[in-house]
Amino acid sequence: MIALAMDAIIAIGLVWLALRTVRGANVFSAIIMFIVFGLIMSLAWARLHAPDLALAEAAIGAGITGALLLVTWRRLQVLEGSVPQVGAETRSLWLTLPTGLAAALLIAGLGWVALSLPAEPATAGELAWQRLPEMGVSNPVTGVLLGFRAYDTLLEMGVLLAAWLGAQVVASEHRPGALPGPAHEEVPLVGALLSLVVPISLLVAVYLLQAGGSAPGGAFQGGAVLAAGGVLLCLTGRLEAADQASLIERVVLILGLAVFSGVGLVMLPLGEPMLAMPGVWAIYLIETALLLSIALTLVLLFAAAPGLRRRL
Amino acid sequence: MNLQEVVATALLLSGCFFYIAGTVGLLRFPDVFSRLHALTKADNLGLFLVCGGLALQQGSPRIAGLLLVIWLLGLLAATVSCHLIARRALQMTDPEQRP
Amino acid sequence: MMDWLLPLTGIVLLLNLILGMLRVYRGPTAADRMLAALLFGSTTVAVLLVFAEWMDVPALRDVALLFVMLAAIISVAFVGLPESDEGNP
Repeated sequence: MIALAMDAIIAIGLVWLALRTVRGANVFSAIIMFIVFGLIMSLAWARLHAPDLALAEAAIGAGITGALLLVTWRRLQVLEGSVPQVGAETRSLWLTLPTGLAAALLIAGLGWVALSLPAEPATAGELAWQRLPEMGVSNPVTGVLLGFRAYDTLLEMGVLLAAWLGAQVVASEHRPGALPGPAHEEVPLVGALLSLVVPISLLVAVYLLQAGGSAPGGAFQGGAVLAAGGVLLCLTGRLEAADQASLIERVVLILGLAVFSGVGLVMLPLGEPMLAMPGVWAIYLIETALLLSIALTLVLLFAAAPGLRRRL
Repeated sequence: MNLQEVVATALLLSGCFFYIAGTVGLLRFPDVFSRLHALTKADNLGLFLVCGGLALQQGSPRIAGLLLVIWLLGLLAATVSCHLIARRALQMTDPEQRP
Repeated sequence: MMDWLLPLTGIVLLLNLILGMLRVYRGPTAADRMLAALLFGSTTVAVLLVFAEWMDVPALRDVALLFVMLAAIISVAFVGLPESDEGNP
């Protein structure tokens, strides 16, 4: 009963936040509503017993994307010389209300169809659950991501690399320039914050990586946390964009994809199918490489730069 | 109901009370600076009491240590956030209307 | 005793969030909207910790740790904004 009330509050709050994001009075408040939406969505995932999703949603959806939106908003102001305005079309009720109703009907229809389907006894999920101990990990999410559906994860790493390359193509034409110098660079509290938060984010990232085998965590969550620490360094002016990617950065960017493909291809001459994991050590090796690649790619995407260097 | 549960209940309830006090301050105070003050102090104290109540409820020293670390980090984050926001708000107000 | 206390605490905290959002939504100046970072930094952390205990999902404490770090990042992102009319309606 109380649980139902709590879930109802979260659900209604999500809908209200989405409405305020789309119909925000100005861009700044819409961005804040979007960040808050991401945080409440993370709470919803927590209520649904999905801590992995809660971690990823909070770190990437609310944290990194929110900071990226705010920085973009700042850059647009500097570029255009005036505050970005919300188009009148997106605020009109004639557009938002029918769209919202149509989306709600679609979700309701899909939900009704999904709930009325007879439950299949031997779905892939059941099989994966039964054969999970073969993978050597007890966390089903890691088992699926790196074992049963390793192809998806491999191609996702390719997508991430392609996204960074695409961002470089765009950035090389319209160089956004350095972030407007932070006004708080001389505030001593920020230095104290960094000296505590950045090492802790490294520690938490490595902990999530190691815990991914048996508890919620893994490469994506760890990479997102590490990227959050890197984003903080960029925001406070400790790191700034460089013109070229250094050799180490290039290596780390392709490290995840290379190690994953390497381990997968090595299995072929041994007679196993591609991407069959030879052991738990392979999973941890791949996850470490993935962590580094994901973290660096996210930070570089945030900074819109080929590389990073310490601000002199 | 043993002593541990009673104390944990008391801590949780007083934590809720402080959170409510912080929100009331957020809504009713006239000025962004007083709202900042109310929110930061009350919420941090509320978080401390809630963490204490949950640590007692759980009963394991490792979880209590983790909750303590979370509260300390929350304290740090709230302190720096409050300071930065207050500085920003001060910059944005006219010099005549500064408190 | 604890059966209803923990979810009740959760609901109280969620209601605090909603009421706090009222200030973020209405707040006349942009600094009022930045209060969202503070509000969420404390309240959602408490909600997650209560969930971890009530639903017996220890991993949610790690999520709470992450939320604390996010609050710091978001407030730093908020305040690094140029001096102009940023959101006064």
